[in-house]
Amino acid sequence: MKRIGIVGAGSIARTHADRIKKMPGIELAGYYDIFPEAAQRAVEQYGGKVYPSLDALLDDVNYVDICTTANAHKEPVLAALEAGVPACVEKPLARHLADCYEIVEAQARTGTPLFVAQVVRYFPQFAAAKAALDRGDIGAPGVIRTVRGGSAPGGGGWGSASSARSYYNDFDKSGGVILDVSIHDIDYQRWCFGEVERVFARGLRFAGKNPKDHALISLRFENGAIGHIEGSWAYPPGLWRTRIEMAGTAGLIEWDSLDQQPVEWRIQPDADSQPSSGTASPLIDADDPYYRELAHFMDSVENDKPQGVTAYDGLMAVKISLAAIESERRGEAVRVRDYEEKL
Amino acid sequence: MTTNVKLGFFSFAHMHAVSYARSAQNMPGVEIAGIYDANPAKGEEWAEKLQTRFFASADELLAENLDGAIICAENVHHRPLVEACAGRVGAILCEKPIATTIADAQAMIDICAKTNTKLQIAFPVRYSPPIRHLKDQLDAGSLGEIYSAKCTNHGSMPGGWFIDQKLAGGGAVIDHTVHVIDVLRWFWGAEVTEVYAEIGDSLLHPDLGIDDAGLLSFQLSNGVYGTLDTSWSRPKSYPTWGDVKIEVLGANGLIRTDAFAQHIAVSSDAAGKTQWPGWGSNADAGLVADFVGMIREDREPSITGYDGLKALEVALAAYESARTGKPVQI
Ligand SMILES: NC(=O)c1ccc[n+]([C@@H]2O[C@H](COP(=O)([O-])OP(=O)(O)OC[C@H]3O[C@@H](n4cnc5c(N)ncnc54)[C@H](O)[C@@H]3O)[C@@H](O)[C@H]2O)c1
Repeated sequence: MKRIGIVGAGSIARTHADRIKKMPGIELAGYYDIFPEAAQRAVEQYGGKVYPSLDALLDDVNYVDICTTANAHKEPVLAALEAGVPACVEKPLARHLADCYEIVEAQARTGTPLFVAQVVRYFPQFAAAKAALDRGDIGAPGVIRTVRGGSAPGGGGWGSASSARSYYNDFDKSGGVILDVSIHDIDYQRWCFGEVERVFARGLRFAGKNPKDHALISLRFENGAIGHIEGSWAYPPGLWRTRIEMAGTAGLIEWDSLDQQPVEWRIQPDADSQPSSGTASPLIDADDPYYRELAHFMDSVENDKPQGVTAYDGLMAVKISLAAIESERRGEAVRVRDYEEKL
Repeated sequence: MTTNVKLGFFSFAHMHAVSYARSAQNMPGVEIAGIYDANPAKGEEWAEKLQTRFFASADELLAENLDGAIICAENVHHRPLVEACAGRVGAILCEKPIATTIADAQAMIDICAKTNTKLQIAFPVRYSPPIRHLKDQLDAGSLGEIYSAKCTNHGSMPGGWFIDQKLAGGGAVIDHTVHVIDVLRWFWGAEVTEVYAEIGDSLLHPDLGIDDAGLLSFQLSNGVYGTLDTSWSRPKSYPTWGDVKIEVLGANGLIRTDAFAQHIAVSSDAAGKTQWPGWGSNADAGLVADFVGMIREDREPSITGYDGLKALEVALAAYESARTGKPVQI
């Protein structure tokens, strides 16, 4: 039985723990969090123990799953790499580009496996679209458009960790909607269409609407293809949407989360009560995207295969995201290759 | 009794002419006096189908005492035809884009002003009921402060003169920028002040030789920002020709509109694919009815030559932005 420990016991850690509990051959060893109460609550729900320090956790596990906030990724990642404990780290790889360079360097030097949890690559519909592209169903890459959006964090659906609201609303920590949300699309589009030449963005980041944020991003890929991304923390409460559209020289792929769902209901239990409605798109456990990414991470370590999302991929996703924020700030296109973050 | 209105068609190069002609023929008291087309075979074919006469020159058709001229020529031929018609008809409906250069557009506006000819530009999207519904909600202020407009006007690659730079003045960007920019200007009475564009030449159709993909990022004078995808990205196997979709985000929420969502799905073995015939109200008919109404009531055009020029200006700015790699101020 292999053991995995979680660093940072917040909302995404809950999603991960839920999947880990369903996996054969892996035991959830426990948690380390700078707030021991958070680790304690997680242990009560998912088992394992509360570790008194990061080192104590790293000493006691085969894998580490780093679920701290973006501004707190670097320290535990570097510690895991130096300790030789294969690590999964939540996106974004780090809040700042310099931290990403340090992580990439340490990973190359130590050779410790590092997986960046760009989970969208493991969403079945996104993976299916990539597979169709790779099969040549739509010909060569042309125009890719994706959407990822909901309401402002804290407006619902972001878990109950009291720290989360202030984290997402604090641009210095989270990087706003582009670094937190659109980074998924940036990584996905780069995975599908290749390296990005330049980026241009408009949005709400510098419009004084915090906690709302919104961005419309244009990408130009090195192969000449074009990308568009909408990222939203400004939709009305209750609306969450993702969408894929990929046009090539010989076809088109589309999928939209607002399309008809496999299960939809509207039920009025009796004549006097308010009807309630809902939808579901159920999958078996092993097809769940978070299950898939974590299983892939551990399987790749086990079988000495390359990680599906490398430290360099994580770095590039951060670099393009920060370049997009810089474009939004400056009102100009930013060349990704030349971009360096000024702090 | 409605007064009779006599219309002449000047070129069927743009196939919207067919839809405009059928719309006109469905209106009581509207007569199509004839069709002029530089290509006699095409002109004669459509004259026969629409049971009207073919004229071998614009001049002969203009001798028919027309009340209105409908011009559906290739983009570069809009100007000479408007110049031929101005002063000889009371009103002109000119297909979009108004022209391929600002100088041509201005010359068309000027000659119509000088000869007291009403010039209307064909932006049928303004007559689409879903788009009008969006405008009504915007006018009512239901969204509160408006943040952004995310738009697409996708299409299929039209071929023919549309991909000839000399006749069309450009590809997907000039073809599909103007409709949506026109309705955004109409929604808010605001102008586009800045455009950045990524444009792809032969990106979706290898060796096409003209732009077939375009992504504009714009800023409006009322503070609203947005994007518009003009790409000819709908393949032959797609169920329909394209789309007009506008999503407006504001402080109070989001309104999503899809002007052509009112369709059924028909899967036909004969066609070899599924198709989406529309059942929504015909926006072209709304445009023609407004044009005929303008003639009858002697009112000013609801979509002016200036509207046509301002929309064209944005398309031309997009090309300039793609050339320079910089946002272009208008
Ligand atoms: N892939 C996804 O779909 C997805 C969804 C949500 C969040 N995330 C990512 O997960 C990460 C965490 O987000 P969240 O919503 O769970 O945040 P959260 O605030 O709910 O949880 C973060 C936890 O980390 C702890 N922490 C902070 N610094 C620490 C440190 N130095 N050492 C140990 N613990 C520390 C906090 O006390 C908190 O309990 C972010 O990087 C976010 O981008 C990904």
